[in-house]
Amino acid sequence: MTQELVFLAFASLIAICSMMVILSRNAVVSAIFLVGDLFCLAGLYASMEAHFVAAIQVLVYAGAIVVLFMFVIMLLNLGPDQRKHLEVSAPEIGVLGLTIVGFLVIGGLLLLGQPTGVTGPLTAEAIDNAGGNTYTVGMVLFTKYLWPFELASMLILLAIIAAIVIAKKEHIKDGDKRRLAHG
Amino acid sequence: MVSIDHYLVLATFMFLCGTLGVLFRRNLLMVLMSIELMLNAVNLVFVSGSRLLGNLDGQVMVFFIITVAACEAGVGLAMVIALFRRYGTVDTNFLRVLRG
Repeated sequence: MTQELVFLAFASLIAICSMMVILSRNAVVSAIFLVGDLFCLAGLYASMEAHFVAAIQVLVYAGAIVVLFMFVIMLLNLGPDQRKHLEVSAPEIGVLGLTIVGFLVIGGLLLLGQPTGVTGPLTAEAIDNAGGNTYTVGMVLFTKYLWPFELASMLILLAIIAAIVIAKKEHIKDGDKRRLAHG
Repeated sequence: MVSIDHYLVLATFMFLCGTLGVLFRRNLLMVLMSIELMLNAVNLVFVSGSRLLGNLDGQVMVFFIITVAACEAGVGLAMVIALFRRYGTVDTNFLRVLRG
């Protein structure tokens, strides 16, 4: 019973926050609702006994990524969106239609195949006995997924370099410099 | 009992919200935030599947998705800053042509 209540509370908050993220005109308000969304997702993860994922969700997503968004919003200092009505084009409607069709196909396939209720070796009790969620996730991450983990570190290194190179000030050409010097 | 279907429906709703944001918002920052929303919907499916199947691979996948999302946000925001510096706008209506 408690689990249903927790799910209902977090799910309704997530639904409201997700809609507000895309509906609000001001980017700062969207970012605040995105934080709310991420916190509620962390709560759902915790209710599913994925404690480590919940902690990482709060630390990395709400703590780092959204703060980065906030910095850029403040740096650009954009006003609220002034558009009165939605502008749509045919390709966008096509993409939206394809997305919905894809979801319907997936849902139909899920309905056709009976859920088997297969439970693997790592049920909640087994994880508790093995030393908790964080320990078992760490064991899987550093044994079975060691090479993907190393590749992820390479990806982060590349992203750091790319972000620095892209956001660097553009080099001023000599001609422009002369023009600037002459006023 | 909360079954996996509930989580799937919630994740579908979140993903569709993200799709709508990517397609119909004209602010590049909003587009990036909508992409984060879609990635989070996928994370929710992974974690609920991991619980259903009694298998921690889904939770490990979530870490890789968060890594990719962080990289994507960093590079994407750097591009937003570069575009704003060059063109003075982050409106996708004005940034439709790819040119060097």
